[in-house]
Amino acid sequence: MSKFSLPFESVSRRNLLKLGAGAGVMGPLTLGATAAKAVNTNAHVVIVGAGAGGTSMASRLTHALNGAKITVIDSRERHYYQPGWTLVASGVWDKSKTISDTQEWMPRSVNWIKGMVAEYDPDNNRVVLETGDSVDYDYLIVATGLQLRYERIEGMDTNLIGQGKGVGSVYAGVDQAEKTNEEISRWIDSGQGTGLFNLPPTALKCAGAPLKMTFTTLSRLEDSGQRDNFNVEFMTPSGRLFGVEFYNQFVKQRFEEQGVKRNDHWTLKAIDADAKKATYSVKNGQDQVKDYDFIHVVPPMTAPESILNSPLVNQEGESFATWMKVDRETLQNPDYPNVWGIGDVMGMPSNKTAASVKMQARVLEENIVAYLQDQPLPAKHNGYTSCPLITSIGKAMLVEFGWNGELLPSFSFIDPKEESWTVWVMKERMLRPAYYAMLEGKI
Amino acid sequence: MTFTGTMTVLWYSALPWLWLIALMIIVFLVPQIIARTKGYGFGEKGGMGSKYLPPLFFVLSLFLLPIHTQSTIAYVNTWVDWMNLIGASIGVGIYAWLVFHPICYLRNRKA
Repeated sequence: MSKFSLPFESVSRRNLLKLGAGAGVMGPLTLGATAAKAVNTNAHVVIVGAGAGGTSMASRLTHALNGAKITVIDSRERHYYQPGWTLVASGVWDKSKTISDTQEWMPRSVNWIKGMVAEYDPDNNRVVLETGDSVDYDYLIVATGLQLRYERIEGMDTNLIGQGKGVGSVYAGVDQAEKTNEEISRWIDSGQGTGLFNLPPTALKCAGAPLKMTFTTLSRLEDSGQRDNFNVEFMTPSGRLFGVEFYNQFVKQRFEEQGVKRNDHWTLKAIDADAKKATYSVKNGQDQVKDYDFIHVVPPMTAPESILNSPLVNQEGESFATWMKVDRETLQNPDYPNVWGIGDVMGMPSNKTAASVKMQARVLEENIVAYLQDQPLPAKHNGYTSCPLITSIGKAMLVEFGWNGELLPSFSFIDPKEESWTVWVMKERMLRPAYYAMLEGKI
Repeated sequence: MTFTGTMTVLWYSALPWLWLIALMIIVFLVPQIIARTKGYGFGEKGGMGSKYLPPLFFVLSLFLLPIHTQSTIAYVNTWVDWMNLIGASIGVGIYAWLVFHPICYLRNRKA
Protein backbone atom coordinates (compact mmCIF):
# COMPACT_ATOMS: atom_id res chain seq x y z
CA MET A 1 0.00 0.00 0.00
CA SER A 2 1.14 3.52 -0.70
CA LYS A 3 1.89 5.60 2.33
CA PHE A 4 -0.93 7.88 1.24
CA SER A 5 -3.43 5.20 0.35
CA LEU A 6 -6.15 4.01 2.65
CA PRO A 7 -7.21 0.51 3.67
CA PHE A 8 -10.23 0.25 1.40
CA GLU A 9 -8.12 0.98 -1.67
CA SER A 10 -7.11 -2.68 -1.74
CA VAL A 11 -10.69 -3.93 -1.76
CA SER A 12 -11.66 -5.73 -4.96
CA ARG A 13 -13.21 -3.35 -7.48
CA ARG A 14 -15.67 -6.02 -8.51
CA ASN A 15 -16.84 -6.46 -4.90
CA LEU A 16 -17.30 -2.75 -4.54
CA LEU A 17 -19.29 -2.66 -7.75
CA LYS A 18 -21.70 -5.07 -6.15
CA LEU A 19 -22.78 -2.22 -3.92
CA GLY A 20 -26.26 -1.31 -4.91
CA ALA A 21 -25.60 2.41 -4.93
CA GLY A 22 -23.23 2.15 -7.84
CA ALA A 23 -25.41 -0.15 -9.83
CA GLY A 24 -28.36 2.13 -9.26
CA VAL A 25 -26.55 5.22 -10.43
CA MET A 26 -24.49 3.83 -13.27
CA GLY A 27 -26.40 0.81 -14.42
CA PRO A 28 -28.81 2.54 -16.76
CA LEU A 29 -26.02 4.68 -18.16
CA THR A 30 -23.45 1.99 -18.83
CA LEU A 31 -25.33 -1.16 -19.65
CA GLY A 32 -28.25 0.07 -21.67
CA ALA A 33 -26.34 1.01 -24.78
CA THR A 34 -24.49 -2.28 -25.26
CA ALA A 35 -27.42 -4.54 -24.35
CA ALA A 36 -29.62 -2.85 -26.94
CA LYS A 37 -27.37 -3.69 -29.89
CA ALA A 38 -26.45 -7.32 -29.05
CA VAL A 39 -26.18 -9.53 -32.14
CA ASN A 40 -27.19 -13.21 -32.23
CA THR A 41 -24.43 -15.54 -33.42
CA ASN A 42 -22.95 -18.93 -32.62
CA ALA A 43 -19.47 -17.91 -33.77
CA HIS A 44 -16.38 -18.95 -31.83
CA VAL A 45 -14.25 -15.89 -31.08
CA VAL A 46 -10.75 -16.63 -29.79
CA ILE A 47 -8.84 -13.83 -28.08
CA VAL A 48 -5.13 -14.43 -27.59
CA GLY A 49 -3.97 -12.46 -24.56
CA ALA A 50 -5.68 -11.34 -21.36
CA GLY A 51 -3.98 -7.99 -20.99
CA ALA A 52 -5.68 -4.63 -21.45
CA GLY A 53 -6.77 -5.28 -25.05
CA GLY A 54 -7.81 -8.91 -24.67
CA THR A 55 -9.76 -8.38 -21.47
CA SER A 56 -11.62 -5.32 -22.69
CA MET A 57 -12.55 -7.11 -25.91
CA ALA A 58 -13.78 -10.13 -23.94
CA SER A 59 -15.96 -7.82 -21.83
CA ARG A 60 -17.26 -5.87 -24.83
CA LEU A 61 -18.02 -8.90 -26.98
CA THR A 62 -19.75 -10.65 -24.08
CA HIS A 63 -22.28 -7.80 -24.12
CA ALA A 64 -22.33 -7.29 -27.89
CA LEU A 65 -22.80 -10.91 -29.00
CA ASN A 66 -25.62 -13.23 -27.95
CA GLY A 67 -24.78 -16.92 -28.14
CA ALA A 68 -21.17 -16.53 -29.23
CA LYS A 69 -18.51 -18.71 -27.65
CA ILE A 70 -15.68 -16.50 -26.47
CA THR A 71 -12.35 -18.08 -25.56
CA VAL A 72 -9.42 -16.19 -24.04
CA ILE A 73 -5.96 -17.80 -24.13
CA ASP A 74 -3.36 -16.57 -21.65
CA SER A 75 -1.40 -18.24 -18.87
CA ARG A 76 -1.02 -15.15 -16.69
CA GLU A 77 -2.88 -15.40 -13.38
CA ARG A 78 -2.04 -11.81 -12.47
CA HIS A 79 -3.15 -8.68 -14.27
CA TYR A 80 -0.85 -5.68 -14.02
CA TYR A 81 -1.80 -2.05 -14.35
CA GLN A 82 1.35 -1.27 -16.29
CA PRO A 83 0.78 2.50 -16.67
CA GLY A 84 1.37 2.68 -12.89
CA TRP A 85 4.85 1.19 -13.03
CA THR A 86 6.53 4.57 -13.61
CA LEU A 87 4.96 5.71 -10.34
CA VAL A 88 6.23 2.53 -8.62
CA ALA A 89 9.73 3.05 -10.03
CA SER A 90 9.63 6.68 -8.89
CA GLY A 91 8.73 5.80 -5.31
CA VAL A 92 5.26 7.37 -5.54
CA TRP A 93 3.18 4.17 -5.50
CA ASP A 94 3.50 0.87 -3.76
CA LYS A 95 3.56 -1.94 -6.30
CA SER A 96 0.42 -3.53 -4.82
CA LYS A 97 -1.62 -0.75 -6.43
CA THR A 98 -0.84 -2.19 -9.85
CA ILE A 99 -1.58 -5.87 -9.20
CA SER A 100 -4.90 -7.69 -9.49
CA ASP A 101 -6.06 -11.16 -10.49
CA THR A 102 -6.78 -11.84 -14.14
CA GLN A 103 -9.85 -13.80 -13.04
CA GLU A 104 -11.25 -10.66 -11.43
CA TRP A 105 -11.71 -9.01 -14.83
CA MET A 106 -12.67 -12.03 -16.91
CA PRO A 107 -16.39 -12.15 -17.77
CA ARG A 108 -17.94 -15.29 -16.25
CA SER A 109 -19.26 -16.60 -19.55
CA VAL A 110 -15.80 -16.54 -21.15
CA ASN A 111 -13.87 -19.79 -21.58
CA TRP A 112 -10.38 -19.03 -20.24
CA ILE A 113 -7.63 -21.39 -21.44
CA LYS A 114 -4.59 -20.98 -19.20
CA GLY A 115 -1.92 -21.52 -21.80
CA MET A 116 0.20 -19.73 -24.38
CA VAL A 117 -0.11 -19.79 -28.15
CA ALA A 118 2.98 -21.19 -29.85
CA GLU A 119 1.79 -21.15 -33.43
CA TYR A 120 -0.75 -19.32 -35.57
CA ASP A 121 -2.31 -21.22 -38.48
CA PRO A 122 -4.68 -18.69 -40.05
CA ASP A 123 -5.06 -20.75 -43.24
CA ASN A 124 -6.83 -23.38 -41.16
CA ASN A 125 -8.42 -20.97 -38.64
CA ARG A 126 -6.65 -22.41 -35.64
CA VAL A 127 -3.95 -21.65 -33.10
CA VAL A 128 -1.66 -24.22 -31.53
CA LEU A 129 -0.79 -23.98 -27.86
CA GLU A 130 2.61 -24.67 -26.28
CA THR A 131 1.10 -27.90 -24.98
CA GLY A 132 0.48 -29.04 -28.56
CA ASP A 133 -3.29 -28.69 -28.27
CA SER A 134 -4.97 -26.71 -30.99
CA VAL A 135 -7.93 -24.36 -30.75
CA ASP A 136 -10.15 -23.69 -33.78
CA TYR A 137 -11.79 -20.35 -34.25
CA ASP A 138 -14.16 -18.48 -36.51
CA TYR A 139 -12.72 -15.10 -35.55
CA LEU A 140 -9.35 -14.40 -33.98
CA ILE A 141 -8.30 -11.34 -32.00
CA VAL A 142 -4.58 -11.07 -31.37
CA ALA A 143 -3.95 -9.13 -28.16
CA THR A 144 -0.66 -10.64 -27.06
CA GLY A 145 1.17 -7.45 -26.25
CA LEU A 146 4.83 -7.31 -27.17
CA GLN A 147 8.11 -8.94 -26.34
CA LEU A 148 10.89 -7.16 -24.45
CA ARG A 149 14.22 -8.00 -26.06
CA TYR A 150 16.69 -7.40 -23.23
CA GLU A 151 18.86 -10.16 -24.72
CA ARG A 152 19.71 -7.83 -27.59
CA ILE A 153 21.74 -5.71 -25.14
CA GLU A 154 24.89 -7.68 -24.46
CA GLY A 155 25.45 -8.32 -20.76
CA MET A 156 21.95 -7.21 -19.82
CA ASP A 157 19.85 -9.47 -17.65
CA THR A 158 16.75 -8.36 -15.77
CA ASN A 159 18.11 -10.27 -12.75
CA LEU A 160 20.72 -7.50 -12.45
CA ILE A 161 18.00 -5.04 -11.47
CA GLY A 162 18.02 -4.48 -7.72
CA GLN A 163 21.41 -6.16 -7.15
CA GLY A 164 23.02 -2.89 -6.10
CA LYS A 165 24.78 -2.61 -9.44
CA GLY A 166 22.94 0.51 -10.52
CA VAL A 167 20.83 -1.20 -13.18
CA GLY A 168 17.14 -0.30 -13.43
CA SER A 169 14.34 -0.81 -15.94
CA VAL A 170 10.72 0.16 -15.46
CA TYR A 171 9.60 -2.14 -18.29
CA ALA A 172 10.80 -5.48 -16.95
CA GLY A 173 7.94 -6.05 -14.50
CA VAL A 174 6.41 -4.65 -11.36
CA ASP A 175 9.03 -6.23 -9.08
CA GLN A 176 11.77 -4.77 -11.25
CA ALA A 177 10.01 -1.39 -11.19
CA GLU A 178 10.12 -1.50 -7.39
CA LYS A 179 13.79 -2.50 -7.49
CA THR A 180 14.50 0.29 -9.96
CA ASN A 181 13.20 2.69 -7.34
CA GLU A 182 15.57 1.13 -4.80
CA GLU A 183 18.50 1.50 -7.20
CA ILE A 184 17.65 5.16 -7.81
CA SER A 185 17.34 5.76 -4.06
CA ARG A 186 20.74 4.12 -3.48
CA TRP A 187 22.28 6.31 -6.18
CA ILE A 188 20.79 9.48 -4.71
CA ASP A 189 21.88 8.47 -1.20
CA SER A 190 25.44 8.02 -2.47
CA GLY A 191 25.47 11.79 -3.02
CA GLN A 192 27.08 11.85 -6.47
CA GLY A 193 27.61 10.09 -9.77
CA THR A 194 26.36 9.68 -13.30
CA GLY A 195 22.93 8.46 -14.36
CA LEU A 196 22.31 7.28 -17.93
CA PHE A 197 18.78 7.20 -19.32
CA ASN A 198 18.02 5.55 -22.63
CA LEU A 199 15.59 5.13 -25.48
CA PRO A 200 15.57 1.94 -27.58
CA PRO A 201 16.14 1.71 -31.35
CA THR A 202 12.67 0.18 -31.88
CA ALA A 203 9.06 1.16 -31.35
CA LEU A 204 8.25 0.98 -27.65
CA LYS A 205 5.24 0.77 -25.41
CA CYS A 206 4.40 3.82 -23.35
CA ALA A 207 6.91 5.88 -25.28
CA GLY A 208 6.82 8.56 -22.60
CA ALA A 209 7.99 6.23 -19.82
CA PRO A 210 11.74 6.72 -20.40
CA LEU A 211 11.17 10.49 -20.22
CA LYS A 212 8.98 10.17 -17.13
CA MET A 213 11.67 8.14 -15.38
CA THR A 214 14.20 10.86 -16.21
CA PHE A 215 11.96 13.68 -14.99
CA THR A 216 10.92 11.96 -11.75
CA THR A 217 14.56 11.11 -11.01
CA LEU A 218 15.53 14.74 -11.68
CA SER A 219 12.75 15.75 -9.31
CA ARG A 220 14.19 13.49 -6.61
CA LEU A 221 17.73 14.71 -7.26
CA GLU A 222 16.61 18.32 -6.92
CA ASP A 223 14.72 17.48 -3.71
CA SER A 224 17.91 15.95 -2.29
CA GLY A 225 19.50 19.41 -2.41
CA GLN A 226 22.61 18.00 -4.12
CA ARG A 227 21.60 18.21 -7.78
CA ASP A 228 24.93 19.74 -8.77
CA ASN A 229 26.80 16.63 -7.59
CA PHE A 230 25.01 14.44 -10.15
CA ASN A 231 25.53 14.12 -13.89
CA VAL A 232 22.44 13.05 -15.85
CA GLU A 233 22.64 12.04 -19.51
CA PHE A 234 19.95 10.93 -21.96
CA MET A 235 20.68 8.78 -25.02
CA THR A 236 18.49 8.81 -28.14
CA PRO A 237 19.06 6.36 -31.04
CA SER A 238 17.00 8.49 -33.44
CA GLY A 239 17.96 11.95 -32.28
CA ARG A 240 14.38 12.59 -31.19
CA LEU A 241 12.89 12.55 -27.72
CA PHE A 242 9.20 12.46 -28.64
CA GLY A 243 7.19 11.79 -31.79
CA VAL A 244 5.19 15.02 -31.63
CA GLU A 245 7.34 18.01 -32.51
CA PHE A 246 5.97 20.35 -29.84
CA TYR A 247 6.76 17.89 -27.04
CA ASN A 248 10.07 16.97 -28.65
CA GLN A 249 11.14 20.63 -28.43
CA PHE A 250 9.61 21.03 -24.97
CA VAL A 251 11.56 18.10 -23.53
CA LYS A 252 14.77 19.23 -25.26
CA GLN A 253 14.42 22.67 -23.71
CA ARG A 254 13.52 21.27 -20.31
CA PHE A 255 16.52 18.94 -20.38
CA GLU A 256 18.74 21.94 -21.11
CA GLU A 257 17.20 23.90 -18.24
CA GLN A 258 17.63 20.96 -15.87
CA GLY A 259 21.19 20.23 -16.87
CA VAL A 260 20.61 16.95 -18.70
CA LYS A 261 23.25 16.22 -21.34
CA ARG A 262 21.73 14.73 -24.50
CA ASN A 263 23.63 12.24 -26.66
CA ASP A 264 21.77 11.93 -29.95
CA HIS A 265 22.09 8.85 -32.17
CA TRP A 266 23.52 6.76 -29.35
CA THR A 267 22.14 3.22 -28.99
CA LEU A 268 22.82 1.07 -25.96
CA LYS A 269 24.44 -2.15 -27.18
CA ALA A 270 26.11 -3.63 -24.08
CA ILE A 271 26.51 -3.18 -20.38
CA ASP A 272 29.11 -4.48 -17.95
CA ALA A 273 27.18 -4.42 -14.70
CA ASP A 274 30.15 -5.33 -12.48
CA ALA A 275 32.33 -2.57 -13.91
CA LYS A 276 29.33 -0.21 -14.28
CA LYS A 277 30.15 0.57 -17.90
CA ALA A 278 27.74 0.95 -20.82
CA THR A 279 28.75 0.61 -24.46
CA TYR A 280 26.93 2.60 -27.11
CA SER A 281 26.98 2.38 -30.86
CA VAL A 282 27.07 5.88 -32.30
CA LYS A 283 25.72 6.73 -35.73
CA ASN A 284 28.57 7.57 -38.09
CA GLY A 285 31.11 7.16 -35.32
CA GLN A 286 32.99 4.75 -33.11
CA ASP A 287 31.44 2.93 -30.19
CA GLN A 288 31.56 4.87 -26.95
CA VAL A 289 31.91 3.51 -23.42
CA LYS A 290 30.33 5.39 -20.54
CA ASP A 291 30.82 4.90 -16.82
CA TYR A 292 27.65 5.08 -14.81
CA ASP A 293 26.36 4.85 -11.26
CA PHE A 294 22.79 4.30 -12.38
CA ILE A 295 21.49 3.26 -15.78
CA HIS A 296 17.86 3.05 -16.87
CA VAL A 297 17.70 0.37 -19.54
CA VAL A 298 14.88 0.41 -22.09
CA PRO A 299 15.02 -2.77 -24.18
CA PRO A 300 14.33 -3.13 -27.89
CA MET A 301 10.80 -4.41 -28.42
CA THR A 302 9.13 -6.60 -31.06
CA ALA A 303 5.97 -8.62 -31.43
CA PRO A 304 6.14 -11.98 -29.61
CA GLU A 305 8.09 -14.81 -31.25
CA SER A 306 4.90 -16.73 -32.10
CA ILE A 307 3.68 -13.76 -34.18
CA LEU A 308 7.10 -13.19 -35.76
CA ASN A 309 7.06 -16.81 -36.99
CA SER A 310 3.52 -16.57 -38.33
CA PRO A 311 1.92 -15.34 -41.56
CA LEU A 312 0.34 -12.53 -39.53
CA VAL A 313 3.50 -10.45 -39.27
CA ASN A 314 4.58 -7.58 -41.51
CA GLN A 315 7.28 -8.91 -43.81
CA GLU A 316 10.79 -7.49 -44.21
CA GLY A 317 10.62 -4.38 -46.35
CA GLU A 318 7.07 -3.55 -45.25
CA SER A 319 6.40 -0.78 -42.75
CA PHE A 320 6.61 -1.93 -39.15
CA ALA A 321 8.33 -5.23 -39.86
CA THR A 322 8.50 -7.33 -36.66
CA TRP A 323 4.98 -6.25 -35.76
CA MET A 324 1.56 -7.71 -36.57
CA LYS A 325 0.06 -6.69 -39.89
CA VAL A 326 -3.24 -4.84 -39.55
CA ASP A 327 -5.07 -2.08 -41.34
CA ARG A 328 -4.33 0.79 -38.96
CA GLU A 329 -7.86 2.16 -39.23
CA THR A 330 -10.03 -0.99 -39.16
CA LEU A 331 -7.57 -3.14 -37.12
CA GLN A 332 -8.27 -6.03 -39.49
CA ASN A 333 -5.51 -8.21 -40.95
CA PRO A 334 -5.60 -7.56 -44.72
CA ASP A 335 -4.57 -11.13 -45.62
CA TYR A 336 -6.89 -12.95 -43.22
CA PRO A 337 -10.06 -10.86 -42.76
CA ASN A 338 -11.31 -12.92 -39.80
CA VAL A 339 -8.14 -12.01 -37.88
CA TRP A 340 -7.95 -8.76 -35.96
CA GLY A 341 -5.45 -7.05 -33.72
CA ILE A 342 -5.52 -4.77 -30.70
CA GLY A 343 -2.87 -3.19 -28.52
CA ASP A 344 0.91 -3.25 -28.48
CA VAL A 345 1.33 -6.15 -30.92
CA MET A 346 0.12 -4.18 -33.93
CA GLY A 347 2.42 -2.50 -36.41
CA MET A 348 1.53 1.16 -36.28
CA PRO A 349 3.24 4.37 -35.18
CA SER A 350 2.98 5.01 -31.40
CA ASN A 351 -0.32 3.54 -30.17
CA LYS A 352 1.28 1.22 -27.65
CA THR A 353 -0.50 2.61 -24.61
CA ALA A 354 -3.56 1.67 -22.54
CA ALA A 355 -5.22 4.86 -23.78
CA SER A 356 -4.84 3.60 -27.36
CA VAL A 357 -6.41 0.30 -26.35
CA LYS A 358 -9.41 2.17 -24.97
CA MET A 359 -10.03 3.74 -28.39
CA GLN A 360 -9.13 0.62 -30.36
CA ALA A 361 -11.52 -1.57 -28.34
CA ARG A 362 -14.51 0.52 -29.38
CA VAL A 363 -13.43 0.47 -33.05
CA LEU A 364 -12.76 -3.26 -32.96
CA GLU A 365 -16.09 -4.09 -31.33
CA GLU A 366 -18.03 -2.09 -33.92
CA ASN A 367 -16.10 -3.58 -36.83
CA ILE A 368 -16.29 -7.20 -35.68
CA VAL A 369 -20.01 -6.91 -35.02
CA ALA A 370 -20.49 -5.41 -38.51
CA TYR A 371 -18.27 -8.07 -40.11
CA LEU A 372 -20.33 -10.80 -38.44
CA GLN A 373 -23.39 -9.37 -40.16
CA ASP A 374 -21.66 -9.00 -43.54
CA GLN A 375 -21.87 -5.24 -43.29
CA PRO A 376 -19.16 -2.73 -44.24
CA LEU A 377 -16.76 -1.92 -41.42
CA PRO A 378 -18.09 1.31 -39.91
CA ALA A 379 -15.41 2.37 -37.45
CA LYS A 380 -11.97 3.82 -38.08
CA HIS A 381 -9.20 4.21 -35.53
CA ASN A 382 -7.88 7.78 -35.63
CA GLY A 383 -4.54 6.87 -34.11
CA TYR A 384 -5.47 8.29 -30.73
CA THR A 385 -2.91 7.75 -28.04
CA SER A 386 -2.32 9.48 -24.76
CA CYS A 387 0.53 9.95 -22.36
CA PRO A 388 0.26 11.99 -19.17
CA LEU A 389 3.84 13.20 -19.43
CA ILE A 390 5.08 13.55 -15.87
CA THR A 391 7.53 16.45 -15.83
CA SER A 392 8.18 16.31 -12.10
CA ILE A 393 6.71 14.40 -9.17
CA GLY A 394 3.53 16.44 -8.71
CA LYS A 395 2.87 17.85 -12.19
CA ALA A 396 2.27 16.54 -15.70
CA MET A 397 1.08 17.42 -19.20
CA LEU A 398 -1.86 15.65 -20.82
CA VAL A 399 -0.39 14.64 -24.18
CA GLU A 400 -3.04 13.25 -26.55
CA PHE A 401 -2.50 12.85 -30.27
CA GLY A 402 -3.43 10.85 -33.34
CA TRP A 403 -1.88 9.95 -36.68
CA ASN A 404 0.78 12.45 -37.82
CA GLY A 405 1.06 13.95 -34.34
CA GLU A 406 -2.21 15.86 -34.58
CA LEU A 407 -3.26 16.89 -31.06
CA LEU A 408 -6.57 15.32 -29.96
CA PRO A 409 -7.39 16.77 -26.51
CA SER A 410 -10.22 15.00 -24.68
CA PHE A 411 -10.99 17.95 -22.45
CA SER A 412 -11.33 21.38 -23.99
CA PHE A 413 -10.53 23.06 -20.69
CA ILE A 414 -7.15 21.30 -20.23
CA ASP A 415 -4.34 22.90 -22.21
CA PRO A 416 -2.25 20.02 -23.63
CA LYS A 417 0.78 22.29 -23.78
CA GLU A 418 0.80 23.32 -20.11
CA GLU A 419 2.20 21.49 -17.11
CA SER A 420 -0.56 21.04 -14.59
CA TRP A 421 -1.36 19.77 -11.11
CA THR A 422 -4.81 18.67 -12.33
CA VAL A 423 -3.24 16.38 -14.92
CA TRP A 424 -0.99 14.93 -12.23
CA VAL A 425 -4.05 14.21 -10.09
CA MET A 426 -5.68 12.55 -13.10
CA LYS A 427 -2.60 10.39 -13.62
CA GLU A 428 -2.18 9.55 -9.95
CA ARG A 429 -5.83 9.13 -8.94
CA MET A 430 -8.13 8.72 -11.94
CA LEU A 431 -6.44 6.84 -14.75
CA ARG A 432 -6.27 3.57 -12.84
CA PRO A 433 -10.06 3.58 -12.22
CA ALA A 434 -10.52 4.55 -15.89
CA TYR A 435 -8.34 1.60 -16.89
CA TYR A 436 -10.42 -0.80 -14.79
CA ALA A 437 -13.62 0.61 -16.30
CA MET A 438 -12.06 -0.07 -19.71
CA LEU A 439 -11.27 -3.67 -18.77
CA GLU A 440 -14.93 -4.15 -17.92
CA GLY A 441 -15.96 -2.65 -21.25
CA LYS A 442 -17.66 0.31 -19.58
CA ILE A 443 -15.74 3.02 -21.45
CA MET B 1 -14.82 11.69 -23.70
CA THR B 2 -18.58 11.19 -23.50
CA PHE B 3 -20.66 12.25 -20.51
CA THR B 4 -21.39 8.60 -19.73
CA GLY B 5 -17.69 7.76 -19.93
CA THR B 6 -16.79 10.66 -17.65
CA MET B 7 -19.44 9.63 -15.10
CA THR B 8 -18.20 6.03 -15.22
CA VAL B 9 -14.62 7.11 -14.54
CA LEU B 10 -15.77 9.37 -11.69
CA TRP B 11 -17.74 6.50 -10.19
CA TYR B 12 -14.79 4.11 -10.40
CA SER B 13 -12.54 6.83 -8.92
CA ALA B 14 -14.94 7.32 -6.01
CA LEU B 15 -15.15 3.60 -5.19
CA PRO B 16 -12.11 3.43 -2.87
CA TRP B 17 -13.39 6.45 -0.97
CA LEU B 18 -16.98 5.38 -0.34
CA TRP B 19 -16.17 4.65 3.30
CA LEU B 20 -14.83 8.20 3.76
CA ILE B 21 -17.86 9.71 2.04
CA ALA B 22 -20.12 7.65 4.33
CA LEU B 23 -18.13 8.75 7.39
CA MET B 24 -18.35 12.40 6.33
CA ILE B 25 -22.11 12.11 5.88
CA ILE B 26 -22.43 10.68 9.40
CA VAL B 27 -20.20 13.40 10.87
CA PHE B 28 -22.38 15.97 9.08
CA LEU B 29 -25.73 14.45 10.03
CA VAL B 30 -25.19 13.64 13.73
CA PRO B 31 -24.66 17.22 15.02
CA GLN B 32 -27.27 18.54 12.56
CA ILE B 33 -29.96 16.16 13.81
CA ILE B 34 -29.13 16.62 17.51
CA ALA B 35 -29.02 20.41 17.17
CA ARG B 36 -32.26 20.56 15.15
CA THR B 37 -34.11 18.69 17.91
CA LYS B 38 -33.07 21.61 20.13
CA GLY B 39 -34.26 24.38 17.88
CA TYR B 40 -31.24 24.83 15.61
CA GLY B 41 -31.52 26.28 12.13
CA PHE B 42 -28.89 27.56 9.67
CA GLY B 43 -29.84 31.13 10.59
CA GLU B 44 -29.11 30.63 14.29
CA LYS B 45 -26.06 32.12 15.95
CA GLY B 46 -23.17 29.68 16.03
CA GLY B 47 -20.13 30.91 17.86
CA MET B 48 -16.43 31.67 17.58
CA GLY B 49 -15.65 28.15 16.39
CA SER B 50 -18.01 28.23 13.46
CA LYS B 51 -16.77 31.70 12.60
CA TYR B 52 -13.05 30.98 12.47
CA LEU B 53 -12.67 27.25 11.83
CA PRO B 54 -14.25 27.10 8.34
CA PRO B 55 -11.95 29.81 6.92
CA LEU B 56 -9.04 28.09 8.65
CA PHE B 57 -9.99 24.78 7.01
CA PHE B 58 -10.29 26.57 3.66
CA VAL B 59 -6.79 28.03 3.92
CA LEU B 60 -5.27 24.77 5.18
CA SER B 61 -6.89 22.90 2.30
CA LEU B 62 -5.19 25.13 -0.22
CA PHE B 63 -1.87 23.73 0.99
CA LEU B 64 -2.85 20.25 2.17
CA LEU B 65 -4.85 19.09 -0.87
CA PRO B 66 -1.85 19.25 -3.22
CA ILE B 67 0.30 17.54 -0.57
CA HIS B 68 -2.36 14.83 -0.22
CA THR B 69 -1.92 14.16 -3.95
CA GLN B 70 1.87 13.94 -3.49
CA SER B 71 2.30 17.32 -5.15
CA THR B 72 2.74 20.87 -3.91
CA ILE B 73 0.92 24.19 -4.25
CA ALA B 74 3.94 25.38 -6.26
CA TYR B 75 2.77 23.11 -9.10
CA VAL B 76 -0.75 24.55 -9.16
CA ASN B 77 -0.26 26.40 -12.40
CA THR B 78 -3.17 26.67 -14.85
CA TRP B 79 -6.52 28.34 -14.31
CA VAL B 80 -8.09 24.88 -14.22
CA ASP B 81 -5.68 23.91 -11.43
CA TRP B 82 -6.62 26.99 -9.41
CA MET B 83 -10.32 26.53 -10.08
CA ASN B 84 -10.12 22.90 -8.92
CA LEU B 85 -8.05 23.71 -5.86
CA ILE B 86 -10.10 26.73 -4.77
CA GLY B 87 -13.34 24.86 -5.51
CA ALA B 88 -12.28 21.87 -3.43
CA SER B 89 -11.07 24.12 -0.61
CA ILE B 90 -14.36 26.04 -0.59
CA GLY B 91 -16.10 22.67 -0.38
CA VAL B 92 -13.99 21.75 2.65
CA GLY B 93 -14.76 25.14 4.23
CA ILE B 94 -18.52 24.75 3.68
CA TYR B 95 -18.41 21.22 5.08
CA ALA B 96 -16.53 22.48 8.14
CA TRP B 97 -19.18 25.16 8.66
CA LEU B 98 -22.00 22.60 8.33
CA VAL B 99 -20.36 20.48 11.04
CA PHE B 100 -19.11 23.17 13.42
CA HIS B 101 -22.05 25.55 13.27
CA PRO B 102 -24.55 23.18 14.99
CA ILE B 103 -21.87 22.03 17.44
CA CYS B 104 -21.13 25.63 18.43
CA TYR B 105 -24.85 26.31 18.68
CA LEU B 106 -25.22 23.42 21.14
CA ARG B 107 -22.24 24.62 23.19
CA ASN B 108 -23.60 28.17 23.38
CA ARG B 109 -27.01 26.86 24.36
CA LYS B 110 -25.52 24.87 27.25
CA ALA B 111 -23.55 27.88 28.40
